[in-house]
Amino acid sequence: MDYIHINKLITTSIYKQIADSISKAIDIGLLKYNDRLPTEKEVCEAFSISNTAVRMAYDKLIKEERIKRIKGKGTFVTNRKNYKTPLHAYYELEIADSNSKNYQYKVILLNRLIKDVSVFRSLKLKPSDKCYEIDSVIKRDNNPVMLEKVYFPKRFFSNFRNIHEKYRGLFDFIEKVNGYTIKHFHSTFSAINASNSEALLLNIEPDDAICFVRTMIVDEKDEVIAYVCSYFPGSFTDFEVIVHAI
Amino acid sequence: MLSNLLDQITIDRRSRVEFELQIKESIKSLILDQTFYYQTVLPKTQELAKHLNLDVSTVETAYLDLIEERYIKRDSSNNWIVSYFELTNYFFDRNVAVYDAIISLGLEPSIRCLEKKVLTLPEERIISMGFDKSQDKRYFYINRLYLGDNQPIMLLENYLPLYIFPGISDKFVGNEPLDAYINEHYKIKANISNRIIKSVNLPTDIAKILNERKNAASIQSTNKIYDKENRLIDYGMSYTICSYYFQALITKKEMSDYFPDSFDR
Repeated sequence: MDYIHINKLITTSIYKQIADSISKAIDIGLLKYNDRLPTEKEVCEAFSISNTAVRMAYDKLIKEERIKRIKGKGTFVTNRKNYKTPLHAYYELEIADSNSKNYQYKVILLNRLIKDVSVFRSLKLKPSDKCYEIDSVIKRDNNPVMLEKVYFPKRFFSNFRNIHEKYRGLFDFIEKVNGYTIKHFHSTFSAINASNSEALLLNIEPDDAICFVRTMIVDEKDEVIAYVCSYFPGSFTDFEVIVHAI
Repeated sequence: MLSNLLDQITIDRRSRVEFELQIKESIKSLILDQTFYYQTVLPKTQELAKHLNLDVSTVETAYLDLIEERYIKRDSSNNWIVSYFELTNYFFDRNVAVYDAIISLGLEPSIRCLEKKVLTLPEERIISMGFDKSQDKRYFYINRLYLGDNQPIMLLENYLPLYIFPGISDKFVGNEPLDAYINEHYKIKANISNRIIKSVNLPTDIAKILNERKNAASIQSTNKIYDKENRLIDYGMSYTICSYYFQALITKKEMSDYFPDSFDR
């Protein structure tokens, strides 16, 4: 609680002092996303002040969406950066990754042979076909911005040796490592509720809303060469789109 | 884009596949990848026939097959226009009236007006929405539910400034499509819609209206609609049932031949 500073000798109201000091602690990174704040009672007792002041301070911060109250659990910091992107440029995150230090790219799962009906269907694979899966998480300031599951049919991507060293993101892998040219990709957007594993990987609560994007990647020969499922934490992702009248 | 529609429809003369089928598949894939989108006018059969150096009847056969498969249709002026779209992306990135989108899904559309009233908004709200704060602060508010075959699909609330739509609160019944109404009565046409799309958990009250459980994930879209003079004419927010997105995607028979194989195989 040492980030809260109260000076009873100055005229600034106590509640504002509490709110300001918590705000400052969030700004300088002392308090991070999902950190729990002391209860109102704890603050009252530590500084011998009325609980109205503490409540007002917390209410102010809640209104500013810097913290949130979860019933039965406590008050938590919510200063997670929103990822705001034009609807059809969300994949630029991948490209940004290689040039900027803001995003960290981390492969979390390599799976040689997956059998998933929806994936097989999207890639038009036969049950006997083989397909690789690569899951990765892109983070910013240690908070996940996107979870990405990519499926590569074996008939288009056979060279998976030393994949750990080679994989620097989806587009790089398809175009530079494997020599395909992406003609276009077709994405479908929807909203789903997070499963336990998705919640864990995206640092949100299970059942929280996720923006789910499915993408078919088509090469110059009009073949669907890869299928991608991207998951964005709903509360921290805005897609912007400008639509012109037909 | 319209100028080179012709160039995008291609055939392979060396292929043994009939030209009708090649034309059909070529257009179909252009529609599916949304190069040709909803209401795009296709080239006239004569034009395309001349361009591809084929018989008009060949092109006509291909077009008729596409009508049969519900990818295109003929409009009142006998143009061949794209009728296919996926609900998913259409609510997002095409400016199609929700009402038409539901029709194109093969569902019977209807609108239920849940609330309509005139509100006087506080200045900070007016500023945050982006309206002109020096004007009349009264806004016509409508909250409406769009249904397809009587099932809720989208909840949409709109704020229309009375300084642009004087008297709308008296005349607008509530269950008529809004775009058509303002076009007919005020000669105002939406030109650009600026949207922020999020995935959100439904609060209890909205979930109930949409026949969903509380916390079900839903697509939320905040829309600012501008007319030709770049004047903000409508501020709206919608919640859309997502099972429809999946449904549209999975049940569409076309999905099975989503990306047609190249012809020579």
